[in-house]
Amino acid sequence: MTTRTSLLTIAALLVAAAGVAGAQDARLALIRDNATRDVVNAQLVSASSMRLPAEPFVSKALEGVAKKATLKSIRSAMAALEKRMKTAYDLLGPSATVDELAAGADAISMGVSEKTIKQMRDRAPNRSIAMELGVITELVARGVPAKKAAAMMLDLMARGATGVQLTALGRDVQGDVAAGLKPDVALDLRGRGVLSLLPPPPTVSNVNVRPR
Amino acid sequence: MITDERDEVIDRAARSLSALPMVNPMAVLEITAAAAVHRSMRPARARAVLGWFRRPSLSLASTGLLMAAALVVGFVTRAALTGAAETLGTQTSEHPVLTPAADAGAASRGVPVPMVYDAKNARSVTVVGDFNSWDPAATPMTRVGVDGPWAATVFAKPGRHVYAFLVDGTTLVADPRSPRARDNDYGGDASVLMVPTP
Repeated sequence: MTTRTSLLTIAALLVAAAGVAGAQDARLALIRDNATRDVVNAQLVSASSMRLPAEPFVSKALEGVAKKATLKSIRSAMAALEKRMKTAYDLLGPSATVDELAAGADAISMGVSEKTIKQMRDRAPNRSIAMELGVITELVARGVPAKKAAAMMLDLMARGATGVQLTALGRDVQGDVAAGLKPDVALDLRGRGVLSLLPPPPTVSNVNVRPR
Repeated sequence: MITDERDEVIDRAARSLSALPMVNPMAVLEITAAAAVHRSMRPARARAVLGWFRRPSLSLASTGLLMAAALVVGFVTRAALTGAAETLGTQTSEHPVLTPAADAGAASRGVPVPMVYDAKNARSVTVVGDFNSWDPAATPMTRVGVDGPWAATVFAKPGRHVYAFLVDGTTLVADPRSPRARDNDYGGDASVLMVPTP
């Protein structure tokens, strides 16, 4: 091995070591149990290799610690999160923000279909849809059927509903359901209320269709 | 006898030398001078190392080495700074007072959301949730008055968040004022926070 090759090898090893050091989030010091910390670190390395952000995994791990979950439970939760995050990444695209990916993973966890998430991305390809994903997740969590929630959300996005309107819709449905209203009925009522404030949907242009 | 043997050796050496061609003394001088000049023109050690790095065949090695050095220095510095931050966090958790420093950079952290929780017998309460990575030291609550509720402000980005209150550092309690969140991973009590776009 020549001097140059040796130096190149040393440099590569140093870069790899620094990368491993970087993968270790300082907040993981909150995990007292060494075995759990090792599992989380291994998960972070795995996520990094899939180009997934570390933040949701750190949060999930510390949530498990806060809830006094067992090592097995934390390991299982993180593996499931990785699967959901990977799906969200595939659906939302490589330009998706960390918040979008986390919201997408939450939506999948709650039962929102992959098709719906893809359609939402297509409705707003150039901006974050983390908030929209959060609202549809909450609607489904309150008991609104996933298909009904998807249809309403896609309609609202197509009509240009604002973030404030969508968040208000989610909270209103929360309140209605807590008050005893059926979730789908609550969404119908509140959704129609928001839609009435929005401009009409764009119609199909007939300029290229010649009258017979 | 010994003297004779020495003479014989000297004679043999003289004969060998005399067989060699004649040396021009000026040529010897020129060669010596040229060698001295060549020695003086040889690059210094530092210049030699620099030249080594400048050679095209070494660009990858040089870049790798420099990157590694920079990364190592960066990570060592980061570790030192993180350690200092953790120390500060521990001190804050022992004395749960919201300082101006805690509010710094609020805009980048999200929308401020006030939190209130009634727990008269609690010794300490903190807010934990996905907006602060469930870090029990991140958002300590302060008691309002002597027997009043516990209060704090969290900063969350627009969207749906899950959170809970950690009472006395051990008991996780859902917010009675908010809807419950179903947790498919761990179970347990938590609440939902919907943060609107500012």
